[in-house]
Amino acid sequence: MSEMSVSVSAPTVHPGSQPLPEAPAKVIARNLNFYYGEHHALKNINLALGTNRVTAFIGPSGCGKSTLLRIFNRMYDLYPGQRATGQLLLDHTNILDPKLDLNLLRARVGMVFQKPTPFPMTIYENIAFGIRLYEKISKSEMDDRVEKALRGGALWNEVKDKLNASGLSLSGGQQQRLCIARTVAVRPEVILFDEPCSALDPISTAKVEELIQELSENYTIAIVTHNMQQAARVSDKTAFMYLGELIEFDDTSKIFTSPSDRRTQDYITGRFG
Amino acid sequence: MAVQSDVVDDAGPYDRAKALSAFKLGDVTFYWITRLSAISVLLILGGIIISLIVGAFPAMKEYGLSFLWTQRWAPSADPPVLGALGPMYGTLVTSFIAMLIAIPVGLGIAIFLTELCPQWLRRPIGMAVELLAGIPSIIYGMWGFFVLGPFLANTFQPFMIRVFDGVPVLGAIFAGPPSYLSLFNAALILAIMVLPFITSISVDVFKTVPPVLKEAAYGVGCTTWEVVRSVVIPYTRVGIIGGVMLALGRALGETMAVTFIIGNSFRISSSIFAPGTTISAAIASEFAESDGLHQSGLILLGLLLFVLTFFVLAAARLMLLRLEQKAGK
Repeated sequence: MSEMSVSVSAPTVHPGSQPLPEAPAKVIARNLNFYYGEHHALKNINLALGTNRVTAFIGPSGCGKSTLLRIFNRMYDLYPGQRATGQLLLDHTNILDPKLDLNLLRARVGMVFQKPTPFPMTIYENIAFGIRLYEKISKSEMDDRVEKALRGGALWNEVKDKLNASGLSLSGGQQQRLCIARTVAVRPEVILFDEPCSALDPISTAKVEELIQELSENYTIAIVTHNMQQAARVSDKTAFMYLGELIEFDDTSKIFTSPSDRRTQDYITGRFG
Repeated sequence: MAVQSDVVDDAGPYDRAKALSAFKLGDVTFYWITRLSAISVLLILGGIIISLIVGAFPAMKEYGLSFLWTQRWAPSADPPVLGALGPMYGTLVTSFIAMLIAIPVGLGIAIFLTELCPQWLRRPIGMAVELLAGIPSIIYGMWGFFVLGPFLANTFQPFMIRVFDGVPVLGAIFAGPPSYLSLFNAALILAIMVLPFITSISVDVFKTVPPVLKEAAYGVGCTTWEVVRSVVIPYTRVGIIGGVMLALGRALGETMAVTFIIGNSFRISSSIFAPGTTISAAIASEFAESDGLHQSGLILLGLLLFVLTFFVLAAARLMLLRLEQKAGK
């Protein structure tokens, strides 16, 4: 049995991917702690998300990856008893500032969820809705923006003839790409993906991954995933988290070929988690 | 599968068939019991309609369709003149005003309770709303008579008259001598009475909205109001309309409280501060002392209320259907 697990090799990193040069940091966390009431869920997290880079967060369930993601757009603020301490900067904005305009923050930091969450309205309105929150533009401009967003979500060709159908009528994979398009339409700077493919079939997953790669040209991306191959395929940097701590944070190729921490090694070779 | 064949081997095919037929008998019995229960609803409903029609027949024969648009109600005249226009008008107007007030307030309470309310305030308000539903209607009637009526007549109506004096339509709606007993007083009481229906059903359906859907809406930068308006309410509109219809059904049929405070006047006035009557109030206040054609006329009123309620509910269904089509499902 032990020989078996040794032979389970780490996922291969996407071909030809030399580590990209260090990018200037878009989001910086310093001594970030998070509490669910009394429970200390994140302990002294220090890391930086590079501008226009994809950062993957891996680790066993309950290690705090999703929690960390939900701090980046202050989603935890919706629930009483949850609080964060430390420092978290988006460019020069202090994300944890209690006086921060959360709606503007969330326009700058978009989020795509585990399950597709189309709004109960038409496909067109699903996209236009987010845009209208921030901009007053004419119908023809809006048409352009919706088309652009749907193209950005690699969905345009599938839905261009039924923009007035309900967003809920699409398949799961299409719904997820609609949600990505909706997020992109608001023109955020950072996009957070919380296990975006865990409810999707392999073909849809491949499409979404491809999309994430394309988006990384213009957006800073953080993705939480349980799928090690996915982390290896799409990300430039990978963070391994365990029990609320950031164990290792490095170039993806390094994490998956020669991790420096024993626990990272054990996790990516499937020995626990 | 293996377990089943074992049983057959042990007990023999004959016993198994017998055991099965016993089950079958139970099944048949169960089927008929449930079927009879379901059919009994139809029978009771049909029986009520038939007895209403039989009771109302003399009045129908006497007045025909003119019953619907005659305003005069003079049961002691010779021959008696009976018309349903006053009660029908009163029923529709009081229910309409009641819903006009209760829907926004009820939804507002529900939104506050589910989206905005701090935890410690949630239980007291929730319980208060449920207690509101538990107050017997006669108590609402008394409160309307002794408290709300004087306030409306002495303070609220003069204020409205001053504000809308000279405004074409609104002026007429609020005009008239002050009266403790009025359509508006009844409508206000009805609004309070149906509020818990709308609120508690809305709270229940608001809770069915997946948190992640709300998070997604907050995630594109919506304010709470935008989340409620564009996500929560559209997502739950079928349930909300169901609650509103339940409330409307209650408002149309409510008798005791309304009889107390509406004034039982069959004359239609343009002012909502004038006394009026509703179908159920008219029946309640006159039925005991009625006979002959008068009683038949009151039963015909009851039949009308039945039909009115049916049409309102049917219209609601139709609206729901069209909403669903429009949403592109």
